[in-house]
Amino acid sequence: MSGDLRRLAPLGVYGAAILVAFALVGGVLAGFGASPLECYEAILHASFVDPQGRSEVLRRTIPLLLIGGGLTVAFRAGFLNIGAEGQLLLGAVGAAAVALFLPATPASLPAMFLAGAIAGALWAFPAAWLRTHLRVHEILTTLMLTPVAEYLVVYLINGPWRGEHVRGFSYTDAFPERLQLPVLEGTLVHWPTLALGAALAAALQVLLTHTPAGYELRVAGSSPKVARYAGIPIHRVVFLAGILSGGAAGLAGAGEVAGIHHRLLEPAQVSLGYGYTAIIVAWLARGRPLAVLLTAPLLGAILAGGDTLKTGFNMPFRIIDVFSGTLLLCLITAEALWARRERRGP
Amino acid sequence: MTQELLAAALRALSLGAPLLIAAVGAIANERAGVVNLGIEGMMALGALAAFSVAVEGHSPALAVAAALGAGMLAALLHAVVSLTVGANSYVSGLALAMLGSGVAGILGRRYEGFPLLDPVAEEPFLVAAGALAVGLWVFLRFTRPGLVLRSVGESPAAADALGVHVTAVRYGAVAFGGALAGLAGAFLSLSYRPAWTDGMTGGMGWIAVALVIFVGWHPLRAVAGSTFFGLLYYLQFRLQDQGRIPVEAFGAMPYLLVVLALALSGLRKARGSAPAALGIPYRRGER
Amino acid sequence: MQMRKLAIAVLVALSAVSTAAEKEKEQAKEKKLKACFIYVGPVGDLGWSNAHDEARRLAEKAIPGLETQFVEAVPEAQGLPVIDRLVQQGCKVIFTTSFGYMDHTVEAAKKYPDVVFAHATGFKRAPNLATYMADFYQVYYLNGLMAGALTKSGKIGYVGAFPIPELKRHISAFALGARAARPDAVVNVKWINSWFSPPKAREAAEALMVEGNDVLAFTEDTATVVQVAARKKIPSFSHYSPMYRFAPDYVVSGQLVHWEKVYIDFLGKVRDGTYAAGKVKDVDYWWLLKEGAVEMGAQPGMPINPKFTDALKKAQMTVGGKPVAVYDRVMDLLKDMSSPSPKFDPFTGPIKDRNGVERVPAGRHMTVEELNSMQWVAPGVMGPVADEPK
Repeated sequence: MSGDLRRLAPLGVYGAAILVAFALVGGVLAGFGASPLECYEAILHASFVDPQGRSEVLRRTIPLLLIGGGLTVAFRAGFLNIGAEGQLLLGAVGAAAVALFLPATPASLPAMFLAGAIAGALWAFPAAWLRTHLRVHEILTTLMLTPVAEYLVVYLINGPWRGEHVRGFSYTDAFPERLQLPVLEGTLVHWPTLALGAALAAALQVLLTHTPAGYELRVAGSSPKVARYAGIPIHRVVFLAGILSGGAAGLAGAGEVAGIHHRLLEPAQVSLGYGYTAIIVAWLARGRPLAVLLTAPLLGAILAGGDTLKTGFNMPFRIIDVFSGTLLLCLITAEALWARRERRGP
Repeated sequence: MTQELLAAALRALSLGAPLLIAAVGAIANERAGVVNLGIEGMMALGALAAFSVAVEGHSPALAVAAALGAGMLAALLHAVVSLTVGANSYVSGLALAMLGSGVAGILGRRYEGFPLLDPVAEEPFLVAAGALAVGLWVFLRFTRPGLVLRSVGESPAAADALGVHVTAVRYGAVAFGGALAGLAGAFLSLSYRPAWTDGMTGGMGWIAVALVIFVGWHPLRAVAGSTFFGLLYYLQFRLQDQGRIPVEAFGAMPYLLVVLALALSGLRKARGSAPAALGIPYRRGER
Repeated sequence: MQMRKLAIAVLVALSAVSTAAEKEKEQAKEKKLKACFIYVGPVGDLGWSNAHDEARRLAEKAIPGLETQFVEAVPEAQGLPVIDRLVQQGCKVIFTTSFGYMDHTVEAAKKYPDVVFAHATGFKRAPNLATYMADFYQVYYLNGLMAGALTKSGKIGYVGAFPIPELKRHISAFALGARAARPDAVVNVKWINSWFSPPKAREAAEALMVEGNDVLAFTEDTATVVQVAARKKIPSFSHYSPMYRFAPDYVVSGQLVHWEKVYIDFLGKVRDGTYAAGKVKDVDYWWLLKEGAVEMGAQPGMPINPKFTDALKKAQMTVGGKPVAVYDRVMDLLKDMSSPSPKFDPFTGPIKDRNGVERVPAGRHMTVEELNSMQWVAPGVMGPVADEPK
C-alpha cells in the first residue's frame, strides 16, 4: 500500500467500526419501536446542522479536550491516570476558592484557572509519587482518590462553603459576575476554555515531538529498558506526566465552574463523567495530543447524540451507555483486527 | 458491647460478601493474565437476571443459575474481544462495564418498583463466598490445573511451549470470573436488598477491582480485605454521631485507607505483585 | 474530491428531509397543548421523578387536548439546552422539577417570553415563570405522633439524604410530632448524602437499629429502609411512593404525593386562559393536605395500616391537659388539616430550635418563605446536622 493511504487507513477502519456500532445500536432502537434511520438522522442533524445542537456538542467537547490532551501525554508516558474525574473536581474547588474568597480583580479569572490547575495536579500527586517512589500502580490510586474528591466537595458545600444566598441548599454562593466566563451568544459554550483546550493540545503536541523532554517521555513510555540505557530519568518523566494530566483535568474543572455553573455544587452535577469519557478520547488519539482536536468533538457528539435520543425519541437515558459501550467495543475490535493484518504483512 | 461487635461483624460480612465473590472471580481471571474492568456491568446483569427469574416465582436456584449465565455471557464477550481479537483488554473491560450497566438498566425497567416477596436468606451467600475464596486458594496453590492457570498468567510463552492451550485456559478463567460477578449481583438483588433498581450495584464492581489489587491477587487475603471494606462502609454510618469529624470523612475513609495500605505495602514490598503477563495479549510466536 | 462532495450532498439532503418532516409534525400539533416535563432523575426510581411522571400521565388523561412529553435524568447543567430543544419541539408549558434548574429556568423564561414555565421547589418568579411545591411537613408531624406512640425505646431513627431545608423541615415536624406523643422521644438522624443509594440506605438503617432505634423513617428514593426494617420486625414509615407492598406487616403509614393535583389545576388554567405568559408572576403553589397534593399513608386510601390501629388506640397522649388516644389525635388533626380552613399547624409558636434559640414566637405561624429556607432543626433531633444557624 502506498504511504499516504497507509496513514489514512486507520481512519477508514475507525469509520467502519463506527458504522457497525450504529447498526448494532440501531437494532436496540428498533426494539423500542423507533426507526433507527430517523434517530440517526436526528443525531446528525443535531450535531452538525442545528446551531443549538452544535453548541451542545461544543459544550461537551471543552472539558474532553483539556482532559484528553493531558491524558494523551500521561498514557504515552505509561501513566494510566483514570482518576481525572476527581482531579477535575479539585480543579473546580480551587477555582471556586479564588472566586469566592479573594477580591475580584482583572487577574481573578486567570488566577482561578491557575488555582484549578494546581489543585488538579496536587490531586494527581499522591498517585504519581507512589508510582515513581514505591512502584504502586497508579490505576488503583488514581481511581481511589475520585470518591475522596467527591466527599470533599460535598463536605464543602454542606458546611464551611455553603452560600448565604442559597436558602440553605447545598451550593456555594454564585461567583461574582466579573468572574463568569463569556459564552457564545445564546449557548453555554464558554469559548475561552475551548481556546485554552485547543492551545494546550497544540502545545502538548509540540512538547512531545519537538522538545528533548518530549523525546524522553516517549521513550520512557514505549521502551523503559532503552530509556534506562539512555540514562533517561524515567521516574521524573512519569511523575511529571502524571502531574501534568492532573493539572489539565483541573483546568477543565475550573472551566466548568467558571463557564457554566458559576458556583460549586454537588459533585454529580459538576463532573458528568468527563474524566472517564476523556480516557476514550485520549486512547483514540493514539498518543498524539493534537488528535484530541478530532476525538474530543467525536465523543462530544456521541454524548450529545445520546441526549438527542433521550429528548427527541423518549429513549431511556441508559441508551447513552449502550451507545458508548458498543461504539468503544467496535472501535477497539476494528483497531485490533487492523493491527493484526498489519502484523501478518503483505 | 458484644452485641455491637456482633452487629458490626455481621454487617461487615454481609456487605463484604458481594465484594468477596466478585473479587474471587476477578482474581481467577487476573491470575490467568486477563484484566477485567467490566465487573460492574456483569454484576448489574447478574442482579437483573436473578431478580427477573425470582420475581416470576421460580426457585432461587434457578435465579442464581440465571445470574451465573448472564455474567458468564458478558464475560465471554470480553474474552472474545480481548483474547481472540486481541484488543486492549483494559478498554474492553471498561466498555463492557458501560454496556452491561446500560443493557441492565434498559431491560430492567419493567421490574422496577416490585419487591421480592420471598427474599433469599443471606447466610448461604456468605458461606458460598467464603467457600469460593478458600476453594480458589486451594485450587491455585495445590492443584495441577491451578498451576497451569498461574503459569498462563506469569509466562504464557513458557506454558505454551509445554503444551498448554493458553487461550482456552484464559477463556475458562474469564468465564469463571464473569459467572462470579453475576453471582455477586444475584446476592444484591435476591438477598441484600431484594428488588431491582437501575444502578443498584452502586459502584461495588469498582470496589471489587480495587480489592483485588489491594489484597495482592490472593484469595484468602480477599476474605479479610472484603470484610474490612464492609466494616468501613458500615462504620461510616455507625460513627456519624460523634460530632467532631464531619460525616463525609467517614465516607472517604475506605478509599483513603486503600491508598495508605498500598503505600505501606509498597514500602514493605512484601505484597504479592501482579501476574507478570497481566493485561498483555498473548500471541503465539511473538516475544 | 468526489467523495467529499457526495458526503456533503448526503448530509444536506438528510437535513432537508428532516426539516420538512418536522414542519409537518408541527402543523399537526397546532391543535393540542403541549406540556413538557424535565426530571432530574430516572423515572424508574420510587421517588421524586417517578412521582412527577405518574402525575404527568394522570394529567394527560384528565385534560382533553393535552399532549405531554418528558425528559429524564437531566443534570442541572443541562437544563437550558434541554429546554431549548423542547421549545423547538413545540412545548408551550415547561415544568422543571428540581431546585437545581432554577437559574436555567429563569434564563429560559427570559429567552422564551411566550412559553409558560413552572419551577418546582423554587422561589424565583417572572411574568411567565411560576413556582410550585407540594410539601409533607404536616404529614410528617402526624407520622411523628404515631412514631412517638409506637416506640418502646424512645429512640426513633431517620435516614436522611442531604441537610437541605426541605429535609430539616420534615425531620423537625417529625420530631415535634414524636415529642407531642412522647415528650422524651428522640429522633436520631444519619445522613447518606445521596438521594438514591440502596447500600447506603441499608447500612445507615442497620446502624440506627443497632443503636436501639425501634421505629424508622427516611428520605431516599427506594424502599430499602422499609425492607431492612421489616426484616428485624421494626415498624417504618414509607416515603414518597406507595411502599406498603414491600412490608405489609411493618409499614405503619407514610407520606404520599399527588403532583397531579397541581398539574391538572395549572394546565387547566393554562387551557382556559387564566394562566398565560405574562400572567403568572405571582403564581406560587404551596400545596398541602388541604389541596390534596399530599396524602398520609403507605398506600393511597389507607392512612394507617390496620395492623397498627389497636396499638395506636391504646397509646395515650396529653392534649390541652386531657388524655387522648394517639389514634384519635392523628385522625382529628388529619381531618382538620385536610379541610378547607385548617386550624392546626405543626409549626405554630412558641418553638425553639434544638439549641434553645427561639425560632417561632408565640402565636405565630411560619411563613412559606421561612419554611422554604429553614436552617434550624427542632428539639429532639439528634445527630450531626450541617450548617445550623447560631
